[in-house]
Amino acid sequence: MGSIKQIPVVEAKRTNPLARVFDDLVRFCRSRSLFILHYCTGCGAIELPPAMTSRFDMERLGIQPMVSPRQADILLITGYVSIKTLKRVILTYEQMGSPKYVIGICSCTVNGGMYWQSYATAKKLDEYMPVDLYIAGCMPRPEAVIAGLQQLMDKIHSGEASSWEDYYRNYDYYLGNQQKLFGEDWQTPTDVISEAKHYDLLSEGTLGDHTRLLEQHQKPLEALEMRLGHEQEEPAK
Amino acid sequence: MSKEITHWLDDLLAEIEGIVVRRKSSRRVRVDVPADALPALLELLQGRAGYIHLSAISCVDWIKEDEFELVYHVWSYESHSLVSAHIRIAREPGVYLSVYDLYQPAAFFERDIHEMYGIHFEGSPNMEKFILTEWDGPPPMRKEFDSEAYINEHLSWQNYNPEWLQELVAEGGGVIIPPEEQRFSQKKK
Repeated sequence: MGSIKQIPVVEAKRTNPLARVFDDLVRFCRSRSLFILHYCTGCGAIELPPAMTSRFDMERLGIQPMVSPRQADILLITGYVSIKTLKRVILTYEQMGSPKYVIGICSCTVNGGMYWQSYATAKKLDEYMPVDLYIAGCMPRPEAVIAGLQQLMDKIHSGEASSWEDYYRNYDYYLGNQQKLFGEDWQTPTDVISEAKHYDLLSEGTLGDHTRLLEQHQKPLEALEMRLGHEQEEPAK
Repeated sequence: MSKEITHWLDDLLAEIEGIVVRRKSSRRVRVDVPADALPALLELLQGRAGYIHLSAISCVDWIKEDEFELVYHVWSYESHSLVSAHIRIAREPGVYLSVYDLYQPAAFFERDIHEMYGIHFEGSPNMEKFILTEWDGPPPMRKEFDSEAYINEHLSWQNYNPEWLQELVAEGGGVIIPPEEQRFSQKKK
């Protein structure tokens, strides 16, 4: 009789026969309740009020605007992103809870559109953050926006919309592009590498030269000072 | 009444040396003055003719003539007319006087021009960055700044890939415009 250690250990498999059904159900529910972050860049945002309100009525698809990035699922990039805006967009994107989806609306997010020659706008959005879907046009009509959102819903339901995982898996690539544009000392308050570990998505592309550079320049974050009322502290004498 | 004011304005402007007045229409006057006479002109317009509103300062870079042109647009609420005072200053060193003491809104216009063209205004209260707070390149509106070279160096580029659009076209949507029809410069005549 061999010892108990010789018994081969079979890795735990999902034994629940209903797991796939549950996964499908979860994805179905997820695709039917989407919150769009109320963050609009550029001019394409003008097509969103008609898409949201009674004429085209986004809410019949279960899509609503949401004011805070922590509770939102979709980040809509509606038009050109200037380099100043892009920094804020990346901060916002990293603050959103996973799973999160990015839609690039208008031709400016594809290649700069009519601002192709401008020094102030970023040209390819998918270099700085993973994009699930582009809705091309200058600018796309609400019908196109709705059709794009429906396509995103289908992709979420089928499990194809997994670009947020790509951000964790290839964080080094995205960070490298961000550093190239914003300078070497670029850092965001979100600890993306720890999040990647949390989601069990740490892979070869997560760490690399650029994350090492980030560690060198990273300054520890300081907690915000809390003050009550409008009193101002007198300077020490 | 407005006619009277117009005649009176012409008399007033004639007081300044080296001035060229061109009346564009009944409510619009173009004035070219030497750079050192501009503060006196604005003081006259503001103090004696009621041009109390400085609506804009614009700047033009004439790189071949090695000069900057500054245009001061002043508006009168009494005669409902606009005077545009044009001056030319040398491109190097690109320094001029601030008119902040006459028109306080000039602070913003001068700060903006300083940022975009690199002209320094002496006596302006604040010459810090205004809109391009995170920009450390040269002033971008100067003609010698090559925007296309800058983006080629700093940003990558992708074509509006036709293959990428084929899917849409197959579904009956999308419009493919060939590049020779997109850009006016490439159009066949």
